[in-house]
Amino acid sequence: MPPQQAIELRVRELLSQVTGEPIEVIGPGFSQATAASWTSLIHLMLVSQIEREFATTLTNDEIRDLTSFERIVDRLARPG
Amino acid sequence: MIDGTTLMGVAAPVGEGSPWSAYQAAARDLDALAADTVPGHLRARIAILGSFTLEPFLPVLRVEGARAGLWIDGYVGAYGQYLSELLDPSSALYQFKPDVTFLAIDSDVLWNQRWAAPSPLGSEPVVGGLFGPLFSGLETFERAGTGLVVVNDFPLPRRSTEGVNAFRNKGTFAHTVAHANKHLRLRLAARQHSFLFPLADVVSQMGRVRAYNWPSHYRGHVTWSDALMSAVARRYTGFALAALGKATKCIVLDLDNTLWGGILGEDGAEGIAIGPQWPGQQFLDFQRELLDLQRQGLLLAVSSKNNEHEVLAVLRDHPHMVIREEHLAAMRVNWDDKATGIRSIAHELNIGLDHMLLIDDSPHERAWVREQIPQMLVPELPADAALYADWIGSLPSLLVLGQTAEDARRTEQYHESRSREAYRASVGTTEDFFRGLKLRVVIEQVTDKTMGRVVQLLAKTNQFNLTTRRHDEAAIRRRVASGEWRVYTMQVTDRFGDFGLTGVAIAEPAPGVWHIDSLLMSCRVIGKSVESALIARIAADARATGAHVLSAEFIDSGRNQAAASFLSTHGFDKTSSGGFVRSLEAPGPTWPDWIESGAEIPETRIAVGHR
Repeated sequence: MPPQQAIELRVRELLSQVTGEPIEVIGPGFSQATAASWTSLIHLMLVSQIEREFATTLTNDEIRDLTSFERIVDRLARPG
Repeated sequence: MIDGTTLMGVAAPVGEGSPWSAYQAAARDLDALAADTVPGHLRARIAILGSFTLEPFLPVLRVEGARAGLWIDGYVGAYGQYLSELLDPSSALYQFKPDVTFLAIDSDVLWNQRWAAPSPLGSEPVVGGLFGPLFSGLETFERAGTGLVVVNDFPLPRRSTEGVNAFRNKGTFAHTVAHANKHLRLRLAARQHSFLFPLADVVSQMGRVRAYNWPSHYRGHVTWSDALMSAVARRYTGFALAALGKATKCIVLDLDNTLWGGILGEDGAEGIAIGPQWPGQQFLDFQRELLDLQRQGLLLAVSSKNNEHEVLAVLRDHPHMVIREEHLAAMRVNWDDKATGIRSIAHELNIGLDHMLLIDDSPHERAWVREQIPQMLVPELPADAALYADWIGSLPSLLVLGQTAEDARRTEQYHESRSREAYRASVGTTEDFFRGLKLRVVIEQVTDKTMGRVVQLLAKTNQFNLTTRRHDEAAIRRRVASGEWRVYTMQVTDRFGDFGLTGVAIAEPAPGVWHIDSLLMSCRVIGKSVESALIARIAADARATGAHVLSAEFIDSGRNQAAASFLSTHGFDKTSSGGFVRSLEAPGPTWPDWIESGAEIPETRIAVGHR
């Protein structure tokens, strides 16, 4: 599986596990603005799970910015 | 109806070390179950209060509870509001009526108190500033009779910058933490229903670097890492199991490569590893840990495929064995399959298989027993016997909350029971057996001295229990002091030994009618007719106050069939509403003439009141 697709798949799974939304509804367009279950506390836990799962450290700006499926995938696909 | 195995099945995919997201997903799987079909005896009401963000901990606790076969109804207090919730009897915490309340207070509270002034404060004002209001809150809370309270001690959360002379200086944070822990231990030890949670030990076991999630702490006060949440939840579950009377009662031990190293049948008694040198020392320490558990009241039994005479020779004569024959409540040493042996031990000890735990080094035996007896706990052992002694302390179901005189004598009582059964086989009729036992029953009203055992029996007794109502100590004290209740205790002895305090009844005297709220007996005295003595005594006391009717209930818990016919065999009639009544104008229930009545301590009831 190409790296981008693997990242997308894992982000889908992670968002589903953390927010409780069905995996089918998670994809482009899924965001904190559209999902009531994506609360500020869930966002905090999501950030922590992303850091753990992808062995990365997110900056404060990135944490504030990672509020949609696309933005998370873009950030994780970027080196660094 | 959802049973413990269903709950365990939901938790099974979430292994040790799983990320929080896996717990969160499994907790949602629990939500998808029909919660209202979980039977009452599998439900635990757990409140968690603390000084940091604990909402993410709840799914972890629920899943670890499910792994132990428990459904946890959880309450998480608002961030940092633990003192106000404890001090306010109208708070949501009190309305929740928890079985166990965990206070998760981070060392940060001490740290922030220390830095409340421009210069750091010493340990006295810091510890006093926290414990003054905390213990005032705990006293208010305990007075309401709200179950157990568990407070964690304080780990040192970070590496210290206090320098190499810190140990000489009472003004350091390290000294403040040590001072706080010492006072916490002393003050909790004086309280019967409060317990210390060894958080510092848990953190030290996994290491501070793994235990704390500092980025998450600073971003949103979620201080515990995924790993620490998981480890704490497993230990919290142990408290919940014990509070609900669902902890392990009997550890069934294998022998070869479990209790000693090597195979007795091949290596002989001189060749097995047990003693002060490697490799025997690792088994020696494991046996010492097991014996400590036995002294707290857990039963030890052996199920082993071996020749019995060879095993007995080791138990009796091996110079380095710690566990001896007298420490074992039952033994099955033969060539039968292990599940059959374990069932036979459960039958002999009259213990439910869900209260038993198997320790066996063989993966095949473990798999077989898991398949044959799914309700039994069969944990995985470490691959290396050097880890056994440490591992045994990690099993949540082995937590013993209270120790009564009965607990300390439990194994001895099973040895007496074996003599009794041998005698039973040698006599003719049941009545001859009862007469020959020379039963003696002492029925008294509850005292301060017997209160602990009464609360324990109310919490734990499942089989012979009319209503399985789990009253806590504060409620009992309040109602006894107000005269609403008479709480009877029954102590039983026979020619073979002392069963101890093994029966409890709670009567609600009202003009004309006495209602029996609860009546229960330990499984140790079931089938000895002593329940007839207990009901006869209550009836006599009711008559003495002019009452003409006894009323009672049988509430089917699914596990109390042993008590199902008690009321009808003692002259009670079922009413149209499902209750039972018995006229006291008719004679009986009668005290069996083969039971001697012991003397009662007069007016002991006045010793019990509010604390």
